[in-house]
Amino acid sequence: MTQVQITQMPVLDAPGTVGPADDTPLLEIENLGVTFYTPRGTVRAVRNASLTVRRGEVVGIVGESGCGKSTVAFAALGYLPGTAEVEGSVRFEGQDISELSEPELRDLRGGRVAMVYQDPATSLNPTMRVGPQLEEVLREHLDLSQHDAQERTLELFESVGLSDPERVVESYPHELSGGMQQRVVIAMALACEPRLLVMDEPTTGLDVTTEATILDLIADLKERVNAGIIFVSHNLGVIARVADRVVVMYSGETVEQAPVREIFKQSRHPYTAGLLECVPRRGAAGEGTPRLRSIPGSVLSADEIAESECLFASRCPLATGQCSSEAPLMRSVGDSHEARCFFPEQVRPEIWGDAELRRPRVSDPNADPLLKVNDLEVFYSSGRKKYLLFGPPADPPVRAVVNVNFDVKPKRTLGIVGESGSGKSTIARTIVGLTPKTGGAIDLEGRELAALVEDRDDESHAALRMVFQNPTASLNPRLPIHHGLVRSLRRFSRLSKEEAKVAAGDLMIAVGLEPEHLDRLPTEFSGGQQQRIALAAAFAADPAMIVADEAVSALDVSVQAQVLNLLADRQREDDVSYIFITHDLAVVRYVSDEILVLYAGHIAEMGETEDVLTTPSHPYTEALLSAAPTPDPSAERTRIRLEGDVPTLREAFSGCSFAGRCPRKIGDICDQQAPPAQTDTARPGHVIHCHIPVQELAILQRSEPGAAARSNGANG
Amino acid sequence: MEASKPIWIWRWARPVRNEIALLLRTPSGRIGLPLIALHLFIAIVGPSLTPYPHTEFHLENRLEGPSLEFLLGTDQFGRDLLSRILSGATSIITMSVLGSTFGIAIGTAIGIASGYKGGIVDEVVMRIMDGFMSFPGLLLALLVATMARELEIPLMSAQFEEKVFIVITIAVVFIPRVARVLRSATLTIKELEFVQSARLRGEPGWYIVFREILPNTAPVLGVEASVRLSYAILLASSLGFLGLGVQPPSPDWGRMINESRQFITTSATFTLVPALAIATLVIGINLVADGLREAHQLPKETPQ
Repeated sequence: MTQVQITQMPVLDAPGTVGPADDTPLLEIENLGVTFYTPRGTVRAVRNASLTVRRGEVVGIVGESGCGKSTVAFAALGYLPGTAEVEGSVRFEGQDISELSEPELRDLRGGRVAMVYQDPATSLNPTMRVGPQLEEVLREHLDLSQHDAQERTLELFESVGLSDPERVVESYPHELSGGMQQRVVIAMALACEPRLLVMDEPTTGLDVTTEATILDLIADLKERVNAGIIFVSHNLGVIARVADRVVVMYSGETVEQAPVREIFKQSRHPYTAGLLECVPRRGAAGEGTPRLRSIPGSVLSADEIAESECLFASRCPLATGQCSSEAPLMRSVGDSHEARCFFPEQVRPEIWGDAELRRPRVSDPNADPLLKVNDLEVFYSSGRKKYLLFGPPADPPVRAVVNVNFDVKPKRTLGIVGESGSGKSTIARTIVGLTPKTGGAIDLEGRELAALVEDRDDESHAALRMVFQNPTASLNPRLPIHHGLVRSLRRFSRLSKEEAKVAAGDLMIAVGLEPEHLDRLPTEFSGGQQQRIALAAAFAADPAMIVADEAVSALDVSVQAQVLNLLADRQREDDVSYIFITHDLAVVRYVSDEILVLYAGHIAEMGETEDVLTTPSHPYTEALLSAAPTPDPSAERTRIRLEGDVPTLREAFSGCSFAGRCPRKIGDICDQQAPPAQTDTARPGHVIHCHIPVQELAILQRSEPGAAARSNGANG
Repeated sequence: MEASKPIWIWRWARPVRNEIALLLRTPSGRIGLPLIALHLFIAIVGPSLTPYPHTEFHLENRLEGPSLEFLLGTDQFGRDLLSRILSGATSIITMSVLGSTFGIAIGTAIGIASGYKGGIVDEVVMRIMDGFMSFPGLLLALLVATMARELEIPLMSAQFEEKVFIVITIAVVFIPRVARVLRSATLTIKELEFVQSARLRGEPGWYIVFREILPNTAPVLGVEASVRLSYAILLASSLGFLGLGVQPPSPDWGRMINESRQFITTSATFTLVPALAIATLVIGINLVADGLREAHQLPKETPQ
């Protein structure tokens, strides 16, 4: 059973008994094509998509951005703008929705089909309490009286695992956490007992811990509500956890579909195989992490017309002449397994390159540290003063980072992980000097750095570079890309303009781009290419350390693998250290030598990567690991779930900052005393800040891997 | 292909030609562009096309309507209105363009710098701007224009001096308004990663302000320029109407409307002619501005 608490299952488990005989699929999409005629040109969002959804089944649609996943989902609701030209057919319960009149469509969307969007914050009206928002839906579509609607709202909130529905109905959306908001949105979608639920990336904006609880809820809904669910996601791990059947889309085509276990065990389309190989996965203990394979190139752009060829041919290692002269059809390749490929039986992970081992470790762990961070403290204050510009601060400052110590050795990579609000980015920005520190010291190569980047000398500017999360915003959209590169080279390497241009060309080659493209504007590149240009600028000055703040989070998996490999290659050749900040444990496991787990600005755990990611762990690390989705549907699930958000600390606090959410809290001591830094005797350097003795943690976590002690009980 | 046309002016003019071609694809552009072209033509060559000297009295033909002899009629002294309109265009257009150019340039520099610097500097600068803005635009203009009149600039003819004062007045009225708009645009842009990358490169503040931020305010600047230019023409005309414009006997469209007021029942054309001249110019600028905005949302001929 899941951890989500459902005390009753009211009303919802009475499935609609009406409707056509059970052998008619709920939704049948056949050869769907969607073309948008926009002022900027024609966009073929969907070229050829076919899928069916049956009652009580979760169909996962997966693919990279721009593959037409969401458009297919919208087409299922008949939600396409008038400018879209639709080919093929979409049949809901046997009825072609293109033949429905506008009132019938409205009825369909309100009553029988419901949608959950990515961002819960924009799906809710910020000026209304959430209870009345749901009551409005109920009264509009089900003609319930005020009293019945209120009753039903409470029931629905309870059924989606909101533990205190009486309080939630009275709340405004901003008073709820992201996870709770998404639960409210799901409750609204379920309000009219829909037969088809379309979820478009419903967990993408959420932290892994929250994502895990929402996925539990969806898995549970699948059993209670006799509805079909379309679940759109770019994340294979998420799909593996919730879907029964998976449809893979590429460039607007469905290229493979199969039951979830089948597709992760033996994919029959090279694209699916490639996607799976791009995701960093945990190697067996003691083995080196295999180098990530990546899919070269990027998705065919939607304005290209390709009638008689396989759309994947240009990126496919199996492609032959046949692939570029003839379009493959969807063919059965096994028990309810279809693939759009001429050579399905040749598809194996190895086609994406041999499993070479990632970089040999050349760094010397006993070397003097390159970067030392001592007692770092960063407090944010609103800047408001009691008397406009003067007097004491109006609000106590937010204690974003408190008493953090760590160091990074040359040629090593430190990964910093934590949920949003844990202070990871603040540490990154403080190290490079974008955010001033409040206390403590940062030493680079033995010299103390000034708090603000403007007060540092050019030598430290050159030695310490940063790469940001959003590649599009990292490059000035009005200036050609050579601008940033040449500027860095000229500032730090004292080259003449001509020399700098030549060097910039070399940098472009080093990051796998064409030197001829230096004069182009950033908008002419894809996200992955933009991120590589940003990396090229960071590498321009031969830096000693690069701070990468979620540098691959905004990228598609295949591109993410390219960038991660690039980082690894540069480290081997250029003697550079990284601080790699991410919320993705799989990525951090792949890139890091050491990991620092951060919670509410405090270090929870720190040590060598393998030590941190295996037992014994800090309870917070344990919860993060348990929540992280893995692209393996048969993986054993440990179920430790954290509810709520990282708290914002404004007061000095004597206890453990994690005590409020800790599933292993042992008592008052957690609230009253700061946890001691315990060192794992077997592995020096592995520090856990917890009141529970390390040996005890090890026993606890080893003995009950599945049912992690107490759930986080009271607040469900 | 491009290299085969080495004349630099040709290459420089290419963006302008592109804009004009785009503009002619929108209805507002097709109306507005000829209006502006006509006014520019008059401003450049108008003074030499006048049928009569603009100060010549025809006392027997006072306050006449349009006729073959006087195409747009005459004023209270029998001066030819067409000649006066033609010779008045140059000053109002140059004064408005110069006034708004200075106003926008200084306002932009202040706005971006203050927004980028932030903190107490920003606070002080913006409170000063608020102080200026607490006067209604026309009142501030009157104040500045009256004070400027007291100044005497050496080596400058009185006629030229008054024009300089009007330019200064327009600029002073515009600076705080432009600064405020550009500051708010800067506040968004300065948080973007490419500005932070520049900071991390150790670039000096002036470089970040002018090289990194300024080009990205282009859309805001474009809107500001069009709004400011049409407002500048209205402001210059209003000053003329109130007697603070170019002094007689030089023709001033605003003052012509004022003079015509008392004769409005006798000769409507006397009022209508300068009023229409101002109105067509302002409408033309607004239409072109709308057209440009529209044109940039139109499909491009070729993708990318």
